[in-house]
Amino acid sequence: MLIHFKNLNWGFLKAYAFTQIKLRYRHTSLGIMWNVLEPVLYLGTLSLVFSAINRMELSDYVVYLFSTLVPWRYFEATILGVMESIIAGEWLLKKLAISYFIFPLTRWLIAAIDFFYAFAVVLVILVLVKPSWTIHVFILPLSIFITSAAALGIGMLLAVAYTFFRDIKPLATTGLMLTFFSAPILFKADAMPMGSLQSELLVYHPVTYFAALFQKPLYYNCLPSLLDWLVTAGIASVFLGLGIWAIHYFTPRFYFYL
Amino acid sequence: MQKIITIENVSVRFDHHATQHRSLRTTLSNLAKNRRAEYFEALKEVSFTIDKGETIGLIGRNGAGKSTLLRVIAGVIKPQFGNVIVNPDSRLVPLLELGIGFQAELTGTENCFLAGALMGLSKKQIQAKLDGIIKFAEIGDFMDEAVKTYSSGMYARLAFSLATEIEPDILLLDEILGVGDMFFIRKCTARMQKMIRSGITTIMVSHNLDFLVTQCSRLIWLEHGQIRLQGEPKMVADAYRKLGNQK
Repeated sequence: MLIHFKNLNWGFLKAYAFTQIKLRYRHTSLGIMWNVLEPVLYLGTLSLVFSAINRMELSDYVVYLFSTLVPWRYFEATILGVMESIIAGEWLLKKLAISYFIFPLTRWLIAAIDFFYAFAVVLVILVLVKPSWTIHVFILPLSIFITSAAALGIGMLLAVAYTFFRDIKPLATTGLMLTFFSAPILFKADAMPMGSLQSELLVYHPVTYFAALFQKPLYYNCLPSLLDWLVTAGIASVFLGLGIWAIHYFTPRFYFYL
Repeated sequence: MQKIITIENVSVRFDHHATQHRSLRTTLSNLAKNRRAEYFEALKEVSFTIDKGETIGLIGRNGAGKSTLLRVIAGVIKPQFGNVIVNPDSRLVPLLELGIGFQAELTGTENCFLAGALMGLSKKQIQAKLDGIIKFAEIGDFMDEAVKTYSSGMYARLAFSLATEIEPDILLLDEILGVGDMFFIRKCTARMQKMIRSGITTIMVSHNLDFLVTQCSRLIWLEHGQIRLQGEPKMVADAYRKLGNQK
């Protein structure tokens, strides 16, 4: 299985990912600046709308919302981008013997670059509105790493399924939307009445633990719990392992389904 | 002679289910009814070897399996049966069509770097070859324009120039010399002849029998996915023509 990674053309992967980002803004006046402006506009609009709806203090809600919304958008963009990557790579995969991991990894890299721009914007905004900072924020690279691995793994599994069954795409999109609205991203978990069904269900919601990796260091000023790390690292390892195995196993059959 | 490619009992099957419209519902229905997938056999137990420096021409009617065989040698299609062994130290460049890896919105120069990276070249190596590529392609200032603005001839010249500047050990060509005007074809043919003389191994698919007879050291005639005849180019071409005249 490792031979796929050994034969991976990293030079092309990097060149192709940066080309895609460059092409996205080629005919715009502001160019790459949009990578910063787009998250500023998006986050600004959302925070105004939701703070009005939730009747929370704007600065408090902004810290809570941004700490998880931006990682969630990265998680979602990675899953959907990676899911479509093998089908979208048909133009090359049917003409040249290159590793089928190239396109999933390229999509992941593009989503990661977008995320780093957006997260940098979030950090700047938080510096302006967050009253106190603690050393716990230095754990965030590990949170990002685990979230990346989980999204890449889920995306690769869906990419295999999508290659064989095109019905997967709307199902995945709906599943992600349901996951988003049921997870403690827009609302706080402690806003649910103690002992209610909703608060019980949140204990079993996997995104609760992924959200904790960002909310605890950025909003609650503490470290994620051992349970948070175990659940998220476990999910990431299982899905990443399954995703790599699935692409490796089905590689000889992909050509006939593209 | 050193063997550079070995094809052993290679069979390739295209599952009809894979190439037709499919959905989760039809797949589950087929599974429930235990319906076996029908398939079309594009290649049937094909075996042959190619020595270093040989120039092989693949001939046959449309659908005979020529392009599938090239894709199998290129490693794009993994055959369900048999083995394909290509010397791992050889740089194989498959020109299954002109402009593989090109992006319409990128300029000629940007495409050279991207497609070069695809072929495993570093930025520095591509930079060193860029002048030669531009000179052969005769594109000049258009190198800084998006390739979507090129004429088909300009596009073909740039793509051919790039692919052949890479100095492959094994070159696979699938009917690409049919593109472009007579001056381009003449220029490409001259470069091809130079490459063949330099000792690279070439496998080409073409319907131009006269061209193949003059350029190749061996012709392989495929019919219904099997080798019907192979050997000295004129002998194979005459047999193929004879069959054509009978039909």
